[in-house]
Parts: sequence; C-alpha cells; structure tokens
Amino acid sequence: MTDSTESPDLQRRSGLTRLKEGTYGGFFAACAAITLLTTVAIIVTLLSDAVAFFSQVPITEFLTSTSWSPNPRGGGQTFGIVALVIGTLTVTITAAFVAIPVGTLTAIYLSEYATPNARSILKPLLEILAGIPTVVYGYFALVYITPALKATLFPEMSTFNALSASLMVGIMTIPMVSSISEDAMSAVPDDLRQAGYGLGATKFEVSTGIVVPASISGIASSYILAVSRAIGETMIVVVAMGAQARMPTVGETVLGIPFINPADVLLDSGMTITVAMVQIAGGDLTGGTLPYDAMFALGLTLFVVTLVMNVLSDIIAERYREEY
Amino acid sequence: MATDTDTARIEGFGEVSRVRGIIFEYLSLGASVLGIFALAVLLVYVTIDAFDLAGTSPLWLLTYFVTLVVPFLAFCLYSARDREVTRRAVTVAGGGLVAVAAVFTAIETFVGQIPRLNWQLAYLFVVVAPLTGYLVYMGARGRPGAVGFGLVGRLIGGAAIGLAFSVLFLVFDERLWFLAYTLGIVPGLFAYAYGQLRNSSTAVTAALPVSLVGVVLAVFVRDVLRTYPTTTFIYLWTLAIPIAAAGALVVNARGSRTAALAAGGVPLALAAVVGLFGRAIGLGVGGPNALLVIALAGVPVAVYLHRVFDVGEGVTGLGLPVLLVGGALAGALVVETFGIPTPNSWVSGTFLTEAPSRNARDAGLYPAIVGSVIIIAMVAVLSFVLGVATSVFLEEYTADSGVVGALTRLLQINIANLAAVPSVVYGLLGLGLFANLLGFGFGTAVTVSLTLSLLILPITIISAQEAIRSVPDDLRRGSDAMGATRWQTTKNVVLPEAFPGILTGTILALGRAIGETAPLIMVGAATTVFSAPSSLFSKFSAMPMQIYAWANFPQAEFRYGVVAAGVITLLTILVGMNGTAILLRNRAERGS
Repeated sequence: MTDSTESPDLQRRSGLTRLKEGTYGGFFAACAAITLLTTVAIIVTLLSDAVAFFSQVPITEFLTSTSWSPNPRGGGQTFGIVALVIGTLTVTITAAFVAIPVGTLTAIYLSEYATPNARSILKPLLEILAGIPTVVYGYFALVYITPALKATLFPEMSTFNALSASLMVGIMTIPMVSSISEDAMSAVPDDLRQAGYGLGATKFEVSTGIVVPASISGIASSYILAVSRAIGETMIVVVAMGAQARMPTVGETVLGIPFINPADVLLDSGMTITVAMVQIAGGDLTGGTLPYDAMFALGLTLFVVTLVMNVLSDIIAERYREEY
Repeated sequence: MATDTDTARIEGFGEVSRVRGIIFEYLSLGASVLGIFALAVLLVYVTIDAFDLAGTSPLWLLTYFVTLVVPFLAFCLYSARDREVTRRAVTVAGGGLVAVAAVFTAIETFVGQIPRLNWQLAYLFVVVAPLTGYLVYMGARGRPGAVGFGLVGRLIGGAAIGLAFSVLFLVFDERLWFLAYTLGIVPGLFAYAYGQLRNSSTAVTAALPVSLVGVVLAVFVRDVLRTYPTTTFIYLWTLAIPIAAAGALVVNARGSRTAALAAGGVPLALAAVVGLFGRAIGLGVGGPNALLVIALAGVPVAVYLHRVFDVGEGVTGLGLPVLLVGGALAGALVVETFGIPTPNSWVSGTFLTEAPSRNARDAGLYPAIVGSVIIIAMVAVLSFVLGVATSVFLEEYTADSGVVGALTRLLQINIANLAAVPSVVYGLLGLGLFANLLGFGFGTAVTVSLTLSLLILPITIISAQEAIRSVPDDLRRGSDAMGATRWQTTKNVVLPEAFPGILTGTILALGRAIGETAPLIMVGAATTVFSAPSSLFSKFSAMPMQIYAWANFPQAEFRYGVVAAGVITLLTILVGMNGTAILLRNRAERGS
C-alpha cells in the first residue's frame, strides 16, 4: 500500500473515486482470501469427518490393521490402512523406477546435449504427457498395456494388475521429473562447465560429474514432487489396477529376511488409498456412516503425506541449493 | 567439443574413450523420446480402434488419400514455396512407402503378426501423419497457408462455440437471459457508449449500476410476463446482433463504413434467414442452433476476409475450405460409384448426438458432452474471475514488506501447496462442503463446477501472475505519473497487456478441468445419464465419467470401440482447446 498520508494529497480524489478504489481493492482481497479459505475448508472438512471416524475406530487399529473391508451394508467392517499403503507403495515405487531414470536422463539430454531446435520440439511434446487426462491413461493401461504384457512377458498376469497401472503412472510423471530437473540443471552456471572442460573432462564427465551434482537439490526435489504426484494419482489406478485390498504373502529366504515376491504384488490386482476412497464414493455418499467417514480419514492421510512431501521438496530445493 | 578430439598423443596421454560418452548421449536421447513414443503408439492404436481402421478396405483409404490428403499436402507445399521442402516431402512420402512396406513385411514374416495393423495403416501413421504435421507447420509460414488455416480455424472454432452456446441454453433460462439482456445489458452498454462519446464520466460510472438494476428487474419480471418471442428471435436479438455489431466495429476501426456494414450485415442476414425460414424454404437446416452457428462462424470469417483482402496477400489461401470440402465430396462420390465398403467407424454422428445405451452400436456420448460443456463454461467464468482478481491483488495491490508482505508470502506458499493437493482430496472438499454442508446436491453442475474451479484455481492464479509480472514496470509508472489511480492503472494498462497470457493460462487450466474424473466421482457425478441435463441442479455426467463407466464394461465392443471413440472425442476437444491457447500465446509474443 502507498503511504499517501505522509505526503500532501496531490491527487485530490473525489469521494466517489475513493469508494470505487476501495470497492475494487476489497473485491480483489476477498478473492485472494478464497485461496486461503480453500485450504482451511479442506482441513476442516477432512478433520471433522476423520475425527468422527477415529472416535469409532481407534487410530492404532487404523494404522496397524492389515485388513480393509469397509462393507457399506454393515457387519464385519475392518478399517486397516496397511494393505492400502502396500498397494500405494507398489504403484509409487514401480512408477518411480520408470519416471526417475527416464526423467533424469531426459533432463540431462535437454539441458546438456539437445540443440535449441530439438529442445523447442521436445519440451512441448513432453508436456503433452502430463496433459493427457488420467482416465485415458487408465484406459490405455487396461486395454492395451495389459494384453500386450500378457501376450509377451507375463502370461500369468491378471486383467487388473498393478504393473501396467504403475507403468502408466510412471510415464505420466516423466515430465514432472524432467522439467524441474532441467530447470535446475540449466541454472548451473556455464563457468563450471567450462572449468570442467579446461581440466580435460569429456562432455559426459561434465554432465554427470559436474552438472548433476551441482543441481542435485533441484533434482531431488523433483523426485519428491513426482512421487507425491504418484501417491495421489487416482484414475489410472482405479481403472487398471482393480479394487482388491490384498496383503502379499511374505516368504522367507534362506537368511531369514522377510521377502515379498514382486511378481505377487505386481501381476495381481491391488488397492491403493485413492482406489479405496473412490470405491466408497461409488456406493454411499449421504454421510454419517462409518465408510463415509473412513473416506475422509483416508483423504486426511493422503493430504498430510502429500503436503509433507511438498514442503520437504521445497525445503530441499531452498536449503540445499548451491548459490553461485 | 575440443576435448573429444584426440590431439597430443604421447603414449596414450590425452586419449579419451568416446564410446561411453556417445552411448550416454544416445541413451539420454532415447529416454527423452521414450515416453512420447509410448504415448504415440497408444494413440495410434486408440485411433485405429475408434475409427475401426483395421477393418477398413485399403481402397477406401486410398480414395480419400488421393482426393483429400494429397491435395491438402499440395496446398501446404504451394504455400511453403520452398524447393527444398518439396524435395524433402516427396522423398519422405515415396521412400517411406517403400521402407514401411519392406520393414512391415519383414516383421510379419520373421517375428509375427502385429495385431490390428497392416502396412497401409503403418504408412499412414508413421509417414503421412508426421509429414502432414511438418508440412502444415511449413505451410503456415507462407501467406496462403496462414490465410487458409486462419479461415478454416475460424469456421470450425466459430461453429464449435455456436454449438456450445446452444448447449448452454439447455440449462440456463433463455427467457431470463432475454430479459436481463434487454433490460440490463443493453441500457448499461448505451450509458457507457454515451459516456465515452460525450466524455461524461457520470454516464460511464452509471453504466454498471444501470445494468445491475436491469438484471434484478429481469429476475422479477421473468414470471410475470406471459408471452415471449421464440428461441430463434431471442438468439437473434441477444447474440447474433451484438456479435455482428462487434464485427462491424472491428472492421470500421480498420477500414471503411461500407465494409463494416457488409462484414456485420451479410453474416447476420444469412443467419437470420436460415434461422427463421431455413426449414420453411426447404434448406434442411434452420432453427435457433443454425442461427447461432452461422452467426458465430460467419462474423469472424467476414472480419477475417476483410482483413485478408485489405492486406491483399495470400488470397489464394481462401480456397482451402473449398479444397477440403471438394476433396471430401469427391471421395464420397468415388466410394459411392465403385461401391467401396466404408469403415464402420465408432466415432460418428450418432455417437455424438445419442444417449448412452447397453448396445454398443447405439451408444452415444451426447449427455456427457453437454454436461462437460456446461461444467467447463461455469468453471471458466468462476476460475477466470477468481484467478485474475487474486493475481491482480497479489501482484498489484500488496507490498513486499511488513505485515502485508508476510501475508502475501503466506498466500503465495499456500497457493503453491494447493496446486499439489491430489485432485481426489478436492473431491472430498466438494463432497463435504458443497454437496453435504451447503446442500447443492450430489453430482449437480453447481457442485461439480465449484469443486473443479477450486481445483484449477491455483494453476490459473500462477499463470495469471506470470502474465501480469511480465508487463514492464515502465508502463505502470507512466500511468501513475498521469495521475491514474491503482485501479485505473490495472484496468487500462496492466490487464490489457497481460490479457493474452492470462487467457492462455486459463485455457490450459481448463484443459486440466475437462479431463478430471476423480473429483467428479467423489462428489457423486453420475457415471451415465440418459438424457441431457435440464437444470443446473439435475444429475450430471461428463465425458471422462462416461469413459470411466464404459471402461468397466467387459464386452470387447465397448472396450475396443465405444470407449476408444469417447477417448478420441475427449482428446480432440482437448487438442482444440490447447491449440487455441498456444496460438493465442504465439500471437501475443509476436505482437509484443
């Protein structure tokens, strides 16, 4: 705001003008306040129903029980998030196996190797990957990826499975990794590169030995953002992964270390936190029932996890950024 | 790089293995195209399925290739007027044909059958489609190409917006709109115009209150009045005439008064005649929707024609629509005469205009399209107003330091975090707040639009802020020096400069909203509705919801046919929206 009180009023505004100015200023401030209210509303909505849920289901049971069956018709309801967390982790980790190496290499290529022309073509194309509606990705996974994998690599795969859903989530999050990492790499000053060349380093050594370490905070924060996005991803998983909350069988290797066979979780259907929410929403929405409240408890979990990850990514990007 | 060349060679000194570097370079190149390639393959398959190209006779493809694609490519080459481009195009088209056929046959003999693909289709997708893209890009650089594409874009865009308007009036009360327009907007506009002409600031200030009073009056009169003009008249009076007037004003500012009259009057007369008497005189088309489409496509085309003839360059490009329509007709004629079997495409007129059905061949997307259009229109208005207002507040009205500065930073961090909240959580917000607490109902247009508006609001704000920030500070200071108030500076200087950027960002954000599904499920939007919604509070579906519902159907006809057609429709609309946004951005960049 200008401190107009200290200087003489040169503008000599009429009352009407002042009223007009004040009205517009107030309107803009009110609109800006809506964004703050949205956050408050999200927290209040999630908390109020989640609290109602936790008054009936102890929070320890919610966090440690391994069985999830909300069973809207009543009888034998159990609300244990562990199976859902395993489903979410399966998807997130598999997607990260796709998105992180591909995204990082893409970022290196765009920032270090690509000609300006190639960059101007590749970057918008990569953005398309993030712009395709997720339900379309889910459909692709279900109708094209799964049959293709079934016919070639994994004949024992079931129609709804975690693998094809995760692959699609991975492809969708590539641009998130690549664009943020590339921004970080492009911000590395050219002096460092030239110094590397001066020491006799090859382009490969400069890229991997100088540029990547120098921009590691930005790269790490892009990984966290991509993972956070994968955790919250809903439609791909809903369409392609099915809805079966399963605990994988834990085998033991010779050394006595507990071991989960990846094929067991990847090739079969599973359920993530988001799928569980959508499944409840598909049934009953009138409110007041235990499954309805459970949906908000899951939403709260998701909100907290993604928020923590975003804040973490911000902190890493800010605090560990190399200043040049 | 200099280090890669091996110079001084004293027993291996300075010798560098380039293998690792080269492998790494190609590996990273491969990584950057991997995702794009995967998506391209999937899109090819969904296109093949949606149009049932796998079952199409090669003759049919050949016919349209010759009558439609080849002339179009020739037009692009003509516009590019570059020997090098022509040579390249011919080489690629010819060499590609041989290469694709050879590679394809080799794969089929040695590896095995590729499902639902033959070499003709492979040629179309691997060679012709990228070549067309390249030639469109090169052709648009020449004047005739730019003119031709501009004309076709205005025809299609105008018609699409006209249809979207007619869809909006399915739920919005056209009689109320008629009254509000007549009693509120028209007097307000007159007051504003009068004030501008006579330099009367009282009249300008009075414009807004006058409009508001008129609109309120309209709400009261709505149920008192018994007789109303027909829908066609309402559209003519409230939409076609103002658009024609706006077109005439644009031409008037650039050229003569007669040209302005023609640019506004001819499309208006055409629209009015077809709209009012089209069916009576046996044209086959008519009624309110035809009027809207003709007016909304005709006026921009007329304005554009005036400009093209005014500039006098690339007038031949105006023949492009004729070329395309002629090619399509010629293709149809050949197909008809020789009895070539036509493909049984899933994307068809009935698919776009019929209600969903259990029977795959009868299934249609119409109610879902209507739902999406209405939702997007409401989201567009809400998020545009909120987004622009918030970004103006953050960029123009706040200080960088002190309590206000801290508050601004808080708002900014909050917006960044909101942008990363999963969409399904926004769905819960909509469910808890709008549907249950405020009682807007489950899955109604109001609930869905409010939820989606909040969802895309952070993206809109961030892009609008960038647009506003890119307005040079000199302009603001200049305006301040003239004694303008903060709002006057914002309204007269900042917003006009930033407008293209804001619009681009908003359209891109709307593209996100149109594909969102999870929040819709959470607020209880219907997966399938069988008739178009009739009010803002009736059950709604949207295109992605319908796709989600159909994807669960086990029948192959749905999985590989109907859903594919739905996906293609959704993606086409998305491409149209994003393409418009990118064109706007490019034009703004060129203009500044």
